[in-house]
Amino acid sequence: MRNLYVTDLKRILKDKLFVVTCILAGVFAVVNPLLNKVIFEALDLGELLGNMVNAKSMLFSAFIPGDNLGLIMPILIAIIVSKDFSQGTVRNKIISGRSRTEIFISHLLASATVMCVLMLLHALLTLGVSLCFFPYQATDFTAADLGYLMASLAFEMLVYFAIAAIVTFIATVAKNMGICILLYLAVSFGFSIVGAVLQVAGALLDPANKLYGVFEFLNALNIYTSTLIGAGATYSVKQVLYILTAPIAITAVSTILGVRLFARKNLK
Amino acid sequence: MEYVLQAEALTKSYRGNRVLNGVSMNIQRGDIYGFVGENGSGKTTVIRLITGLIYADSGEFTLFGTKSSDPTIRTARARVGAIVESPSIYLNMSAKENLLMQNGILGIRDEEKCKTTLETVGLGDLWDSNKRAGDFSLGMRQRLGIAMALLGDPEFIILDEPMNGLDPAGIVEIRELILHLNRNMGITFLISSHILTELSLVATRYGIISRGRILQEISAEELEGVCRHTTVIKVADREALLALLSADFDNTMLFPLDGGVRIEGDIDLNAVLGKIIDAGITITAVNTHRSSIEDYYLSMTGGGRRA
Repeated sequence: MRNLYVTDLKRILKDKLFVVTCILAGVFAVVNPLLNKVIFEALDLGELLGNMVNAKSMLFSAFIPGDNLGLIMPILIAIIVSKDFSQGTVRNKIISGRSRTEIFISHLLASATVMCVLMLLHALLTLGVSLCFFPYQATDFTAADLGYLMASLAFEMLVYFAIAAIVTFIATVAKNMGICILLYLAVSFGFSIVGAVLQVAGALLDPANKLYGVFEFLNALNIYTSTLIGAGATYSVKQVLYILTAPIAITAVSTILGVRLFARKNLK
Repeated sequence: MEYVLQAEALTKSYRGNRVLNGVSMNIQRGDIYGFVGENGSGKTTVIRLITGLIYADSGEFTLFGTKSSDPTIRTARARVGAIVESPSIYLNMSAKENLLMQNGILGIRDEEKCKTTLETVGLGDLWDSNKRAGDFSLGMRQRLGIAMALLGDPEFIILDEPMNGLDPAGIVEIRELILHLNRNMGITFLISSHILTELSLVATRYGIISRGRILQEISAEELEGVCRHTTVIKVADREALLALLSADFDNTMLFPLDGGVRIEGDIDLNAVLGKIIDAGITITAVNTHRSSIEDYYLSMTGGGRRA
């Protein structure tokens, strides 16, 4: 399993699309804080810098799955993973006696590793560039903030692990790269649109309304639009449970479905 | 007799279209098994079944004594190397990187072995080259594919249409490589092809498949026997020739022709010609023809689509 994982990791890292992804990660990390700085100052809203827009908000906006790198990276990684099927190199693994479950899990772990590491580096670079223009947050940075930051980054990694599971599932079941791209866009936009509708509907409800909790839960489950991670200064137990539920459920469902479908799939 | 592969009544359908219709075949250790059939006859489907890329609707095969329904079939499959349709190579990587990737899949950490394997297939000069496999010629890709198949020390190599797209020099190289690996390393081969004349230069045994069914399995020696010689001898006096030869050949071998005779089957031509000359019969023409594996294949399949 370890050998297969290392092989898949090498295959992703050797692909030209991975280089493109890295370049985009760098460009977005520099351009986004810079744009915010320029726009806010041009609009004479400089007083909002540090409160509404600060390095912390820039850091966590870098993780949003429906935007910038968060949208493009999964598509590019899905294309790289799907090449194992479209170029027929997956045959080498099956003929060498590797089980289909091993192959799926190896794809998942390799894509999750690349996506998590790249997203983390992108976010940290975004933070570094942002700190050149904005303070980290409106208040002083304390030891508790460091703990919150670390926990938030861990939660974001969990979210990207779940996205890697979706990506691996799509790359495995799609017959070609085109379908792969379309399916991921459909998933991403679908979740984003449904999430946006639920957020608006939830915001219109009175917190005393029984349905408010339902909407709150559904919003928290949607990893594409959830705003729970990195938005405050501490996490309640309820928030942690909400944050953990969706990625774990998505990873489990994508993996189980992916393994089952791949086990029955006829390969070229 | 030790069998590497035994298949029994394999069937497979795609969207209601039956591609394999009860395929049964046997491959003995040391064979170079020529798998002959027209395009769409089911050759590649059989190969995909054996290599685990697809599953049979019914029927079973045994690979190195392990049944396909046995969960340990994967262990038996690890003793197989295969190129199915086209070599499964990483086009954005060099020959060396491709072999190292295959090493990783196999869990081998022997870089020297990669180098010697590349030399075995005649691509040793590419070891230090950064040239991407995507820029290789078809022949080079085919040889790299074989090198990758060889890395796991397979006892059985399956090659699906290995001569496809190769130039004459490439065909000779691949043929010599197959013979070298079979004779010197004892590797059993299953080679599917519709280029029958090329296959006849290496195969020791044949399986003829048509419309998803194995029509016949036959050894190269047996095929040699049934691919009969035909000798046509034209003379000035046909009746004298018929009278002379009817003593040696019965009417299943000897057929009168306009101005001569046709003799079917293996004969000692020098002895026959000597006898005719000694009898004082003037020979005007001699023509010999041997029916080929293609003729035999066409007679087996009813001469429909050419292989």
